[in-house]
Amino acid sequence: MATNLTHFEIFGLAPAYELDRGALAARYRELQREFHPDKYASKSEREQLLAIQMAAQINEAHTVLRDPVQRAAYLLKLAGVEVPPEQTTADTEFLMQQMLLRERLEEVREQPDPATALEELAAEVQSLFRGEQKQFAEAYSAGKLVEAEESLRKQQFLIKLQRQVEELEADLFGDY
Amino acid sequence: MALLQISEPGQSPEPHQRKHAVGIDLGTTNSLVATVRSGSAEAIADEKGEVILPSAVHYDSNAITVGADARARAAQDPYNTMISIKRLMGRGIADIKSFGEQLPYHFADNDGGMPSIETVAGPVNPVQVSAEILKKLAQRGREALYGRDGGELDGAVITVPAYFDDAQRQATKDAAKLAGLKVLRLLNEPTAAAVAYGLDKGEEGVIAVYDLGGGTFDISLLRLSRGVFEVMSTGGDTALGGDDFDRTIAAWIAEQAGLGTDLDAGTQRQLLDSACAAKESLASAERVEVGYADWLGVLDRKIMASLLDPLIDKTLRACKRALRDAAIGVEEVQEVVLVGGSTRTLRVRERVETYFGRAPHADIDPDQVVAIGAALQADVLVGNKSGDDLLLLDVIPLSLGIETMGGLTEKLIARNTTIPVSKAQEFTTFKDGQTAMAIHVVQGERELVSDCRSLARFELRGIPPMVAGAAHIRVTFQVDADGLLAVSAMEKSSGVSADITVKPSYGLEDRDIAQMLQDSYAHAAEDIALRALREAQVEAERTLESLLVALRENGAQLLEEGELNELEHAMEALRLAHNGGDAEEIRRRMEALNKLSEPFAARRMDASIKRAMQGHSLDEFDK
Repeated sequence: MATNLTHFEIFGLAPAYELDRGALAARYRELQREFHPDKYASKSEREQLLAIQMAAQINEAHTVLRDPVQRAAYLLKLAGVEVPPEQTTADTEFLMQQMLLRERLEEVREQPDPATALEELAAEVQSLFRGEQKQFAEAYSAGKLVEAEESLRKQQFLIKLQRQVEELEADLFGDY
Repeated sequence: MALLQISEPGQSPEPHQRKHAVGIDLGTTNSLVATVRSGSAEAIADEKGEVILPSAVHYDSNAITVGADARARAAQDPYNTMISIKRLMGRGIADIKSFGEQLPYHFADNDGGMPSIETVAGPVNPVQVSAEILKKLAQRGREALYGRDGGELDGAVITVPAYFDDAQRQATKDAAKLAGLKVLRLLNEPTAAAVAYGLDKGEEGVIAVYDLGGGTFDISLLRLSRGVFEVMSTGGDTALGGDDFDRTIAAWIAEQAGLGTDLDAGTQRQLLDSACAAKESLASAERVEVGYADWLGVLDRKIMASLLDPLIDKTLRACKRALRDAAIGVEEVQEVVLVGGSTRTLRVRERVETYFGRAPHADIDPDQVVAIGAALQADVLVGNKSGDDLLLLDVIPLSLGIETMGGLTEKLIARNTTIPVSKAQEFTTFKDGQTAMAIHVVQGERELVSDCRSLARFELRGIPPMVAGAAHIRVTFQVDADGLLAVSAMEKSSGVSADITVKPSYGLEDRDIAQMLQDSYAHAAEDIALRALREAQVEAERTLESLLVALRENGAQLLEEGELNELEHAMEALRLAHNGGDAEEIRRRMEALNKLSEPFAARRMDASIKRAMQGHSLDEFDK
């Protein structure tokens, strides 16, 4: 580890769920200009190694911060709560809803207009995801970590479903 | 009276000493070297004015010939003439057999690792052959930059195909090491071509690099976004190129001249030569006369187009596949760059323009464009030019994973992740008192280990004996800016770092390279001990210089007085060792100093992050 700073500290951000993606991207470019190993190509081996480690840490921080689910998990980790990526939720109502959504996904192919059916489903999943993001942000900033954790688990479910929607989309219409 | 020069604190006493760096295109068929002189990049010619060095090496019992002279001997001495060696870099015997190509070489049996080829000069491997080509190019570079007396190059950027895996990149870097070159960076060929055209300074968007050489075709789609060059997809045909154009035109001449199909080698050669000449004439002329024996005819652009179109169709189909892999439409491509000698053929340009719907960049000699891009990047990396306007971030072309139970791959680093990257993974022991374990690293996208490329096997030793499951070994996989993997391991509870031995699946181990270096010095009658000493001294100078600059900058703020004293003692010890003549002693002192200065280096990193933040209010990011 080249630095003990947190991902947020590296990017000069206060640890919060909401963040400005434009500023994150701009800051990423600045950091790379300073620490990319290419800037150290004619320096000593030691400094080159440090630059690789530093740039790797910057890349890792960038990957985590720009992804909403990973960012949420990281915030909880900083607060001392580890959430394994495959853990389930105990909210039966939510689970029921997930089952229904999945059934609809499986039936998209048989619909008279699969494109529209898929589009509607995607929009619904997207809006549920946004709702959970809001939930998480509120719970986290109010210091309600148990609720935040529950919301993160739901986000993990939804993001998985979103990926399946995308896969089906590529499968059905992806051919150029 | 001479005035005493006193430099500003924090500034180097030699403010502007130009460094000497080259860019090298190490190609399958041809290789080139280029450099930046008086502001512009140009390819360097040999004493006969030839810029292209054929990638051919001929071995005699007492001499090694590289280039055109070597290629000329391929026909009569195929076993001792190495051509297209790039195809064998980082590959195993089994891969080479599966190429299905007729390689004339006698491969020595060496338990499935890196192939070794029997020649009259003894066995040689692809890394050694490539090193000979690199040496020749480096020599050209030295003569161009220093004149006959020579001098050392400060560094080189060497290009590799975008799809090269870790083993192929490592083999290229090993060849450079063997040739005595300091590699500043391995650069992807299509990225180099885009840099040559200055596209890195342009708008955000997708760039297609269409590379048609003598024997291979490559298409690469790059995305330029927020200063990151990302390889989106690559494709092509490893057995399609300008040579096929020549063969097709030669067959047409033979048919027109009524020669039949069963021709002897001499006739075939003659036909190919006139086919190639006719093809080149048609780049400027509308029509050209061709003849064989008493037949005389005319080849015009229209006939040639009809002959070449089926071959060009194949390249465009590969473009289409690459677009599909990248999940974009052809209209999203904003720039097209032509690379490779065969893109001089007018018909190729026309078809590419029609397909992509825009005129391709073709002003720079397509044989030289990759080397020129590499030279521009080398100039920046060696420190001649402030590189603020040029920052190339690359991605890893293939996912890296490890073998888990049942021959399955567990992905650690996904393809297209921006590099450098490092990932840590924890392992535990499954037997009481277990002190060693093996990790098999593979590269590829498939689920089964057997469908991926084996990169290396790492053996961890020196794990403290504990009950099963109690040891937690944290293994860190680190991929540097060249896409090369390094692995380190540590037992967490005890803090003991485990020893790692790397067995590259198709590469060379460090000690192999050391041995080869020694052998090559023995040939050149160069004193290896002297070389090792000089290398250690240069590294010591770099270490001392950069630490001195660092101390001047913020030693006072970041170090306690005791720490500063300790550092200064260690620096003095290294200085003394540097002036002595013992390379080992220099390395030991340098290692000690590096260890001692580690906390200072970490504090400096933190400080420079915070410094880079100044000028930004925190809430600017806090929206």
